[in-house]
Amino acid sequence: MEGECHFLEGNLRAKMWVTYTKGLLDEIGIEPERLKMFNLSSSMAPQFKEAVEEMIEVAKKLGPTKIQNKAA
Amino acid sequence: MIVAERKPFEDIKAMIEDYNKILVVGCGECVSVCMAGGEKEVQILASQLRLAFEEQGKEIEVDETTLERQCDKEYLEEIKDKIDDYDAIISMACGAGVQFLAEMYNNKSVYPALNTCFIGVAEREGEWSERCRACGDCVLAETGGICPVAICAKGLLNGPCGGTNDGKCELSKEKDCAWTLIYNRLKDLDKLDNIREIFPPKKYSAQTTPGRRIHEAFKEKE
Repeated sequence: MEGECHFLEGNLRAKMWVTYTKGLLDEIGIEPERLKMFNLSSSMAPQFKEAVEEMIEVAKKLGPTKIQNKAA
Repeated sequence: MIVAERKPFEDIKAMIEDYNKILVVGCGECVSVCMAGGEKEVQILASQLRLAFEEQGKEIEVDETTLERQCDKEYLEEIKDKIDDYDAIISMACGAGVQFLAEMYNNKSVYPALNTCFIGVAEREGEWSERCRACGDCVLAETGGICPVAICAKGLLNGPCGGTNDGKCELSKEKDCAWTLIYNRLKDLDKLDNIREIFPPKKYSAQTTPGRRIHEAFKEKE
């Protein structure tokens, strides 16, 4: 859970970088909602499934970008 | 180290959108340490440019490389064989690196991706603060190791001014008064007499523009 990472403050640092990366996406016109961080442990399969379903819904709602895989 | 920060993405993109093939060149020294223009930042900028142009349906090729540093010719020479493959170069070095790159490859348009901010130190990971203005006439021996030129908002050599307030500068409650810092440091060092000395007008001639320094060993002897 947030702040209780196996790697000490690891998930807090990850949160910081995810927030930064959302800003990078926003700069280039890609919806930052396409990226989201979830804090899960290895025993939280149902929550993982919910997180995946949430992101699928986000992707469906936003639709495809014009970017093909070759760009990144 | 020299501390810099990246220009807004839109500004960088606007500089190069009329070209077809771009090389983003990073620098492995100061700007790498301050997370502005090192290998990782080159990868981020190059990826952003590729994605942004593709989103717009523009075909621009963006390649990337990071040199050991851009303020030495031997490292800049590493790209001499491929530089003609590109229409323009984006340098992620400090202002010195950008200029040296542009000087060495003077038939290429070289664009800066960073704004060079100051000579400073790392306060903690991700945070830097200014310590030096490269004035060429260091006064740190008299001021307890705290620079009034860089840290005092007015660069006063005989401070504090009337704007000092509970150890903070009149410009901002976030900004320490350099001369309060100096007073406290000299007091700790039992050298408060230093502050009673009046500094003569500063030798601004020492801050030559453009600066040039030749090491004694490399000077031609008569």
